Amino acid sequence: MKRRRPFIALAVVLALVAAGLTATAISAKPAKRNANSIEVLSLWGGSEKDAFLKVTAAFTKATGINVQYTSARDFIPDIRTRLAAGNPPEIGILPRPGYIGTLAKQGALKPLSGLGLTNAYMKSNYSAGWLSLGSSGGKLYGVPAKANSKSVIWYKPQSFKKYHFKIPATWTQLLAITKKYKAKGLVPWSVGAGPSQSQWTLTDWFENIYARTAGPAKYQALFTGKLPFTDPSVAKAARTMTQIINNKYVLNGVQGVLGQSFVGGITDVFGTKPKAQLYFEGGFVGGIALQQVNTSLKPGKTIASFPWPTVTPSRGRPIVGAADFAAAFKDTPEVRQFLKYISTKAAGTIWVSTGAVNSPNKRVSGKAYPNVLARAEAHQLATAKTFLFDGSDLLPGAFGDTWGFALQDVIQHPSNINSILSDFQKKIKGQF
Amino acid sequence: MSTQPLPAPAAPAPDAKGHQVLLRSRVEGLKGILFVLPALVVLAIFLIYPAYYTIRLAFYEGDFHFGFFHYLGIENFKQLLTNDKDFLDLSKFPPGGALINNLRWLIVYISLSLLIGLGLAVLAVRVRYERFVKTAIFVPMAIAAVAVGIIWLLVYSPDADVGVLNALLRGGGLHTQSWLGNPSLVNYALIFAYIWASVGFVMVVLSAAIKGLPADVLEAARVDGANEWQIFRRIMFPLLSLPISVVTIWLFINVIKVFDIIYVMTGGGPGTSSRVIAFTMYEETFHNGRPGYGAAVAVIMLVLIAPVMVLNVRRFRSERVVA
Amino acid sequence: MATVDQAVRLRTGTRSERLVRWVTRTPIHIGLIAIAVIWLVPTVGLALTSFRKPENIANSGWWHAFTQWDWTLHNYGSVIHATGMGHAWVNSLIITVPATLLPLTLGALAAFGFAWIPFPFRDTLFLLIVALMIVPIQTSLVPLLKLFAEHGHLNNGYWGIWLAHTAFGLPLAVFLLRNFFITLPKDLIEAARMDGASNLSIFRRIVVPLSVPALASFGIFQFLWVWNDLLMALIFVSDPSKQPMTVRIPYLISTYGQEYNLLAAAAFLLMIVPLIVFFALQRYFVQGLLAGSVKS
Repeated sequence: MKRRRPFIALAVVLALVAAGLTATAISAKPAKRNANSIEVLSLWGGSEKDAFLKVTAAFTKATGINVQYTSARDFIPDIRTRLAAGNPPEIGILPRPGYIGTLAKQGALKPLSGLGLTNAYMKSNYSAGWLSLGSSGGKLYGVPAKANSKSVIWYKPQSFKKYHFKIPATWTQLLAITKKYKAKGLVPWSVGAGPSQSQWTLTDWFENIYARTAGPAKYQALFTGKLPFTDPSVAKAARTMTQIINNKYVLNGVQGVLGQSFVGGITDVFGTKPKAQLYFEGGFVGGIALQQVNTSLKPGKTIASFPWPTVTPSRGRPIVGAADFAAAFKDTPEVRQFLKYISTKAAGTIWVSTGAVNSPNKRVSGKAYPNVLARAEAHQLATAKTFLFDGSDLLPGAFGDTWGFALQDVIQHPSNINSILSDFQKKIKGQF
Repeated sequence: MSTQPLPAPAAPAPDAKGHQVLLRSRVEGLKGILFVLPALVVLAIFLIYPAYYTIRLAFYEGDFHFGFFHYLGIENFKQLLTNDKDFLDLSKFPPGGALINNLRWLIVYISLSLLIGLGLAVLAVRVRYERFVKTAIFVPMAIAAVAVGIIWLLVYSPDADVGVLNALLRGGGLHTQSWLGNPSLVNYALIFAYIWASVGFVMVVLSAAIKGLPADVLEAARVDGANEWQIFRRIMFPLLSLPISVVTIWLFINVIKVFDIIYVMTGGGPGTSSRVIAFTMYEETFHNGRPGYGAAVAVIMLVLIAPVMVLNVRRFRSERVVA
Repeated sequence: MATVDQAVRLRTGTRSERLVRWVTRTPIHIGLIAIAVIWLVPTVGLALTSFRKPENIANSGWWHAFTQWDWTLHNYGSVIHATGMGHAWVNSLIITVPATLLPLTLGALAAFGFAWIPFPFRDTLFLLIVALMIVPIQTSLVPLLKLFAEHGHLNNGYWGIWLAHTAFGLPLAVFLLRNFFITLPKDLIEAARMDGASNLSIFRRIVVPLSVPALASFGIFQFLWVWNDLLMALIFVSDPSKQPMTVRIPYLISTYGQEYNLLAAAAFLLMIVPLIVFFALQRYFVQGLLAGSVKS
């Protein structure tokens, strides 16, 4: 019947397309989760993911256990839904001790002591600071897997040389360089704090400034709920932030900041078509820039970092850093082996040799770092007199994101800083 | 396109065999329920029961396991409507919040979709290449909102060497814009992307309706000297009021339910400026871990959509009476 | 009755009248064609981008592609293999086909009951179904998530999403099909009944064969709806290796946000099936849409 012809045609076309793609897809099928494999969930994509996959490849080679890596777009709803479905990944490597604490309180995570990692063993590999971050309620839940400094600013050495700029040691000097770039008709900064959940970059700006103006004690108090966000020191630091992040000194102004992602910001400065001169984000920027954004960069010549300058001179330069912690949702022999492996010197060495990360593991030698950028970061972390963990990652639940939104508000409406902060304080009160 | 008349439902044929047939038709009637039962069971378990659960959950705080934990009364609703700047912020002008964004969608999305769709339908009916125009406008309807999102992410790209919109602006000597990074523009940028995907439906429905208009009436008006605009305003438009209202309802339902395009293009950002209520429900439930609060948002969605449900039912009943 | 189309064509008139008409109509022609072309621009832009090399995309707009002639299929290869989109495409198919056939079957059976078998409360139940047609998904997300997890871990496989889509597709299926079944010739069915045929055989032998257009309309509409769905898959398919393309593409955007070469290729892989279905069976698809909203 004539009416049937389009059906037959369609059915044939679909069948052919399906067959073809099935064949290709089968060759790209991720490993099946059976008894001899585990699933690891984290946030990395691109070059950071590739670096991690080198570590898991070594693990598979040593133990025969397959590792299936899943990247999360927004890990909180992902984990939430999967926990509700009774189907969490075996391991989650998460950047937020605050959220790990929330999960631990819900009973969703397995304490490390029950997984064969004794406190004594962990103490021999990690300093007390790292271990307390990975704990909740007195028990250890997260293995510090990788670390990064967040107190480095990225610049172009060849550009500094050309204009005779000196590495700034104070905020005033940094502002001066900013203005000089602007006077030469160049866009000084690029900031990516918008799409792809990039608002955390603003929180890092704030944390460095806050640590350098209010000091470590207040910093700790603020991010653990002992100091309200309405304290004047918070507004002061937020206002300082807007001395650089405003329509004059950032690419495409504040709207551009809100419309650019964190990797996009790196591309704006170090990509093949650069549009700005300076970029701030953590030590991991080096790895991403070199391996993903622009492979023709030369560490030390066309890309390098300097430490965050002081703001209030008496406060010095506390280092703000971050780390990812590997936590277990299930207890299986494969999980135990993986966590053990991640905590070894071997895993740490492989990982840092990719140039993407720093290792919190005491046993990983400084020689393992592949280039001058990574070594500088490692040195900074190792010799830090004061080390402060990324504040927004200490906040409970999803408040790390909410704080980022508040800061997005701040850069848009700097005159409303006080009401923005009091709104945020209202939301977070009692949540710690 | 074939239209379908709506006759009265069938009744069993009256029969002289009397009692035997009555019994048989009773039995058949009961068997008839078997046809309907599987669907009713599925609907009861997977649609009706969940709706009850969600409505009830809205009065609680809810816990990690989405259970009925910590009764709150109407606290969630109070909080949403009076104390949540991301949902409803009447303290400034223009007001903000997800609910207000849906209002923006309501006004801009519905009116522009109708205007463009109606205009295209009326004009295209007179040209020989009408099918080409209709197809070009209609194709986006088959595209997933996720793909629409990517298409328009490319169009709105802040880089004038990538995004066609900013390229046009730059070519015209104007300043490029951050369409999705500017809180005053982002909602309208999203709305227009969705209009692009929806106008096809409006055009096709109204085009079919226009073709069904009585040509002799229109011809008579032309002969009497009326120009096209008068014909449109005085004759066509009133006659099209039913299809237009049907299309408006479809657009309204879209406004209440819109989620995918915001999730894909902005994630509710910058900050929370492009949130809509469907997105707020998802954020509060799965991101912020407040199932009761999210359920309250879902109830508000139901309340907003309820008038349409009532309208649908009423219209269906009245048409049956007429037939 | 003559339609507007025919009425227009009958008018010719003198040469000057035709000239006047041409002058007044030309702006309409230009406007219509311009709008149609503008409407195509975004999609065409994406299509071209999917065949361009990444360096080219970053350096020049896709409209330069016509003069650059530097095409590649590499993006599609990358997207299918490296990012797992090929796998996700198959998942989309695995989710969509049963989620279309199930409501179609249950809906057709129920619609037949509502159309041709009198039983108590029939009309009230049907009105209930009419009301249920537009219930938002948000009201079911949390309870179904809990339900599926607690009764057989249906979220780990595909049964969760299949059942959810069946439930949400049923009201429209029943409504659409019942309205069509009613238009079938009463005498045919009555005659079959008098011959002693059971309801089931009437359904199988008479109603279904005569209803292919309506079944196709709903089937295609539901197929597109499920294929393009994001939110239900996001919540009810918790196993990443089973997630469909609509769920995996936002992951791509957050990881490779600037890399439009990959995003464009992925978007086209997603679009290609609905576009084929649409162009091949346009008539049925449009009918399904219309019948769902227009009643006379």
